Amino acid sequence: MYTHRGYPDFSKGRLHSRYDFISITLAEVWMNTKAVMPQSPPPTRHAGAIIRHLKYSLGASPKKALPQSLYQATALAVRNHLIDKMMETEDRYTQRKAKRVYYLSLEFLMGRSLGNNLHNLGLFDAFSETLTDMGADLEELREQEHDAALGNGGLGRLAACFLDSMATLGLPGYGYGINYEFGLFKQEIDNGYQKEKPDNWLVDGTPWLIHHPEAACIIPVYGHIQHAEDRDGHYNPMWMDWKTLIGVPHDMPIAGYGGKTVNTLRLYAARSSDDFDMDIFNTGDYLKAVEQKMTSETVSKVLYPSDAMESGRELRLIQEYFFVACAIRDIVARYKRSHTNFDAFADQVAIQLNDTHPALAVAELMRLLVDEHALEWDQAWQTTCATFAYTNHTLLPEALEKWPVSLMEHVLPRHMQIIFEINHRFLADVQSRWPGDTQRPATMSIIEEGHPKQVRMAHLAIVGSHSVNGVAALHSELVKKDLLPDFFALYPDRFSNKTNGVTPRRWLLKANPGLAKLIDSQLKRPWVTDITNLTDLVPLSRNPDFQKTFKAIKQANKKRLSKIIWDTTRIVVSPDSLFTIHAKRIHEYKRQLLCLLHIIHQYLALVEDGIPPKIPRTYIFAGKAAPGYDAAKRIIKLINSVGDTINNDPRVGNHIKVVFIPDYRVSLAEKIIPAADLSVQISTAGKEASGTGNMKFALNGALTIGTLDGANIEIMEEVGQENIFIFGLTAEEVHEINVSRTYRPWEIAENTPTIRRLLDAIGSGRFSPDDPSRFIPVCETLLSEYDPYLHLADLRGYIAAQEKAEACYADPVRWTEKAILNVAHMGKFSSDRTIREYAEEIWHAAPCL
Amino acid sequence: MRLETKKEGGVFIIRSLESRMDAKVAVDFRAEIARHIDDGNKHIVFNVGGINFIDSSGLGAIVSCLKHVGREGELVIAEADETVLSMFKLTRMDRVFRIYETEREAIQAMST
Repeated sequence: MYTHRGYPDFSKGRLHSRYDFISITLAEVWMNTKAVMPQSPPPTRHAGAIIRHLKYSLGASPKKALPQSLYQATALAVRNHLIDKMMETEDRYTQRKAKRVYYLSLEFLMGRSLGNNLHNLGLFDAFSETLTDMGADLEELREQEHDAALGNGGLGRLAACFLDSMATLGLPGYGYGINYEFGLFKQEIDNGYQKEKPDNWLVDGTPWLIHHPEAACIIPVYGHIQHAEDRDGHYNPMWMDWKTLIGVPHDMPIAGYGGKTVNTLRLYAARSSDDFDMDIFNTGDYLKAVEQKMTSETVSKVLYPSDAMESGRELRLIQEYFFVACAIRDIVARYKRSHTNFDAFADQVAIQLNDTHPALAVAELMRLLVDEHALEWDQAWQTTCATFAYTNHTLLPEALEKWPVSLMEHVLPRHMQIIFEINHRFLADVQSRWPGDTQRPATMSIIEEGHPKQVRMAHLAIVGSHSVNGVAALHSELVKKDLLPDFFALYPDRFSNKTNGVTPRRWLLKANPGLAKLIDSQLKRPWVTDITNLTDLVPLSRNPDFQKTFKAIKQANKKRLSKIIWDTTRIVVSPDSLFTIHAKRIHEYKRQLLCLLHIIHQYLALVEDGIPPKIPRTYIFAGKAAPGYDAAKRIIKLINSVGDTINNDPRVGNHIKVVFIPDYRVSLAEKIIPAADLSVQISTAGKEASGTGNMKFALNGALTIGTLDGANIEIMEEVGQENIFIFGLTAEEVHEINVSRTYRPWEIAENTPTIRRLLDAIGSGRFSPDDPSRFIPVCETLLSEYDPYLHLADLRGYIAAQEKAEACYADPVRWTEKAILNVAHMGKFSSDRTIREYAEEIWHAAPCL
Repeated sequence: MRLETKKEGGVFIIRSLESRMDAKVAVDFRAEIARHIDDGNKHIVFNVGGINFIDSSGLGAIVSCLKHVGREGELVIAEADETVLSMFKLTRMDRVFRIYETEREAIQAMST
């Protein structure tokens, strides 16, 4: 039988029986604490519902039900509760004439829903007991659920956290997006390389989406403009010869904590206008009929696996248009049910654009108001601007969306006309604000002149909105100062900051039940809906008993992750080592490479200088690279190659381990994050808009090693400089270096023998003996004065910060105190706070409870 | 395309017997109406009451008929249901064609 480094032989018997020590540790913690959950109905009622769904919804015999069927039946039983509450909620909003808030996002990274819904409805314990009585295990059933991976990373996960917070706060908030048939690809690691596999998340169906074919809408696309006259002889552009897409809504209930409010995430699937055209079939052209259907349905087939712009991809443009057209039509229809004109539209409707992907909504609402509802242009424009608000998520120039005018004219001829008109009027404003200035109209124009001419989607979003916000204090300042200074000069009142946040329901209550129960047992004030109350933990940070339990929970979480690492990589790691975790999308600016350079440095110090780390270290990476991003995929290969070398070098022993856990996704993050000791947040300053992983890790008691970038700065302000390991260039220093062109990485390498040594190791094939030149491009990037991410500039500072962290971890009392203080000071980083700010300052919407 | 036609005074009334007006019927429709126009029927009420789906081909055919009628004639629409009306608005054809709730109203308007 295969065994690895003396690890238990898991091939016999059930794997989890070998990990009894994990469940025992958690159980001990739980037994000493008391749950504070909303009152729930008796278990027998739930058993009846589950059995009924097994039999009558799924046609499965309760006696022979497979785990997948039992999961589905349980979820359907929970869904009944959700639907009841969702209908009550909608009635309440209608009766109170509440202002609705709509969050338009091309991505919603929801993850799994069963556990979250049970927690938020206050039914977790009741269902858990019911299933135990039925001889099943809720934890095992939760593993049956496919992640809804309808997003790439932070932007999509933020949207999901916001939905949770809106529902918890009782805000009438609706999400609108695409019901992708295939979510973000599944990542497999083959010989150290990333391989992408389709994510067919709907293969077993999903109980969380309610299909509404009766609410399908017609979406026109393509065609041309016929320049005609109306009955009065005025110019009347007619949009003719368009093709038809059908948008079919699928509603996902979003339960707020406490279960009083259940909002809706409406996801649209594209369908052909003729599902099965009998006429074409009867003429024998069956394939033509089916082909047209397939082409239409391609629109919602797959999520684009990149956070960079997909300009030039016609299908991506159609996706963006398709979902905003469906959403705007639905929003207007809901408004029109209780209003006869549009005078109160902006008082009743707020629409938030999550990045520029939904920016076409500006043109679509204008088209709808002017063309279909015959409003005068000025009234329509005033209404549009008062309705929309735009969130900027990136300072990276390559991620700022632009679409060729020719493509836009081809796909959306009427919208292009409207955008030209918006731009014409906007440029007149610019000229009247800065008479005689010829530069500003060119830089601010929605249309970028050049070859080809392009539509700048960020400019369209800014001009068509009353609010533009960044997502962390530093980012918002850089947006005003560097990215959009002319727009800030023109519209200073539109710009603001709304620092991102994360929902404590998923990222603490659900992901870290041990810590949640411990907090429950100690705090008198409720924390799940107000994590500013976690400051009550401050006096406990030095309490030996509290520290002991806190540490035991972390240890149990680390053991659970150790098992996952063994199961997925067959690498043994020690839960007693310092778990340093870099988990996020693989991107050069996030600098997985910097983390790796330090690991190589530490390895060489051990094997060549005989200097081991002060404590055993485990470095854990996880994240996906966009399939077309070669440099990022090479980083994954390098991580795995360095890991292979170090993990198999007998001189290293247990001093250092390096692992790459495949297929990072929400459900995996929920297991990785609670197990972290040290959270690595080391993007080049000025590149990361906010980050939210940094918040999730700190909330779960990890200390951060990070640069002064994104929300790291605000985390430092909250937890105190003494409880975080900050290093590296500031955004201003990075800017200075870029402007003065003074970056000389080869000089750093020449003057620092340890850095030269590690670069030599990479470049000479030490980690790629089968192909010694494989990683030369990595060295070339690192030694290039054009490396925009300035890896070597920050390397010495990073190594020093790591040494500091290591020394601190060697003192468990001191480390644990800092970890507790991190949890205690995360109050600012709840998405409830963020959403409250959006509601009060941008949407002017109030809770409706 | 199956159409029912009648004449009331100087007004020629066309009623569609198809529920869908799309690419499959648009060419036939255009040809048949052109024939009626060429026969001297230049004041036309097109009753679309039986149509519950119209696409851009159908709309294009109607526009083509309007052009064929010319400035001395008129083509008006009657009894459009919500879906059909929304397609007229989408293309801004509602600003080109007079649209009446009932066939009777349309005939009366054309007769005066």
